[in-house]
Amino acid sequence: MGAIRFDNVGKVFGRANSGFAALEAVDLDIREREFVAIVGPSGCGKTTCLRMVAGFESVSSGRVLVNDRVVKAPGSDRAVVFQQFALFPWKTVRQNIEFGLRNKRTPRDERNELVDDVLKLMTLESHRDAYPHQLSGGMQQRVAIARAYVLDPDVLLMDEPFGALDAQTRVVMQEELVRLARINPRTVLFITHAVEEAVYLADRVAIMSRRPGTIKEVIDVKTVRTSEDWDGFEKIEDVMDLESFVHLRTRIWKSLREEKVAVDG
Amino acid sequence: MRNRKAMVGLGAIAGVVLLWFALTRWFGIIPIGRFPTPGEFWDALKQIELRGFAGSRLHAHALHSLRLIVISFLVAVATGIPLGLLMGWNRRAEALINPVFMLIRPIPPLAWIPLAILWLGLGDAAKVMVIWFAAFVPSVINAHAGVRNIDRSMIEAARMMGTPPHRLVMEVIVPAAMPMIFTGLRLSLQASWTTLVAAELVGALVGVGFVLNVAQQDIFPAMILVGMLTVGVLGWFTTYVLGLVERRVLAWSVQGRA
Ligand SMILES: Nc1ncnc2c1ncn2[C@@H]1O[C@H](COP(=O)(O)OP(=O)(O)OP(=O)(O)O)[C@@H](O)[C@H]1O
Ligand SMILES: [Mg+2]
Repeated sequence: MGAIRFDNVGKVFGRANSGFAALEAVDLDIREREFVAIVGPSGCGKTTCLRMVAGFESVSSGRVLVNDRVVKAPGSDRAVVFQQFALFPWKTVRQNIEFGLRNKRTPRDERNELVDDVLKLMTLESHRDAYPHQLSGGMQQRVAIARAYVLDPDVLLMDEPFGALDAQTRVVMQEELVRLARINPRTVLFITHAVEEAVYLADRVAIMSRRPGTIKEVIDVKTVRTSEDWDGFEKIEDVMDLESFVHLRTRIWKSLREEKVAVDG
Repeated sequence: MRNRKAMVGLGAIAGVVLLWFALTRWFGIIPIGRFPTPGEFWDALKQIELRGFAGSRLHAHALHSLRLIVISFLVAVATGIPLGLLMGWNRRAEALINPVFMLIRPIPPLAWIPLAILWLGLGDAAKVMVIWFAAFVPSVINAHAGVRNIDRSMIEAARMMGTPPHRLVMEVIVPAAMPMIFTGLRLSLQASWTTLVAAELVGALVGVGFVLNVAQQDIFPAMILVGMLTVGVLGWFTTYVLGLVERRVLAWSVQGRA
């Protein structure tokens, strides 16, 4: 459950032949329970890719498949975590998390249990009755992640989820996401500008070229991570000091640099 | 904090009353007969409440006007908000309704009075119609804008959670538009009072506007002032009640807490 496949996907905004080509021949296979991060220069179409999987955006050519079915519309099998959280400010933490379950008509007892579990998992218990505006950005994003997790989706889609957070909160959230991803692996498509974040979190990192965007290179991180036992370290900075980490990071950096230079030239 | 604000408010009112005494009585800057003195005002107030003026006592006039306001306001809101929501959410409805609305909107509500009287006579029904029209417009506009300004990611979040249409409307769109809807309600209420007084000035047998009308014909400035202040107090009271409702409904928002 949860494989994502981009099959020769193109996207043109505006009119079909005179419009603006954002994506061209994107091919990417994300396996079940695999964590893939996409990095790429600004405007290369990362968000567009994610929105196509979510069902918010149509493809102009090619196909996007989830579990071998062509994506047609949004659905709770593909949960999205937005950069700006997109919580409902008129609902409490608990009501926000519960919202999707009520759509699914999950029975009340089961719903309460699921919400309690996820509140605990995200250490949100003491804020369950708070409104979003009463929480810090990091807390709000925790709620957004909890809201996505509780749906038990096949696929988690995260578009720069930590982009709006300060550096310290960001590190905490990264560690926490790694913890979640290892306890309860999901298929994750994660978009970021931060190369370190991608290398730290992902099993594979896909690098996109500048506009019209396409997948330029896919770098395997998981093999290195397992053989060097990154998960044995508790703190992100310890992992980032490892030679194997630095090596991968530099490699991705260089690949991205080529794209930036090409933009200028 | 709230107490302090109330104190400042009372102090300001006391200051105005003092100034009034000063200008009309102590220094005689305003000539006698041009503007009522506090004593004349008090006598007029006693007269209308104890013996009646323009056919009824003050509380009867006030209650009558208040009732008209509440009825018309509620009718306007109950029709205006759904229409605004519909226009904000459905492009086709917007394309259909908006041009008509834009054409009718600039017509001042008072311009409907002749037609209303022609159709419905001098009774309350005509006034309800005119007030309804005045209060309807801001409700529609703000509900419309409220929906149009909803953060797109809010709707997308709802979609990705598989929200069925009725829950999308009731639990996402309406609450998201609620702050704007309340802005509309405040404007609607203000418009209701303006229009009511004007409508009662033109044709009525009871009500604060009618008091003003009769007092003017009798050349009775103190009674005019009584009528005006009655409108002020009633207007303040209805706005205050609306504010209480708003604070409850928008308890979740940052403004709601203020
Ligand atoms: N709805 C739209 N209509 C027209 N053009 C669009 C639309 N959405 C995106 N684009 C364009 O498509 C290109 C890709 O956009 P996208 O948001 O996917 O890039 P991105 O890689 O996520 O950028 P960033 O890193 O800045 O978030 C951009 O040039 C953008 O201006
Ligand atoms: Mg983006």
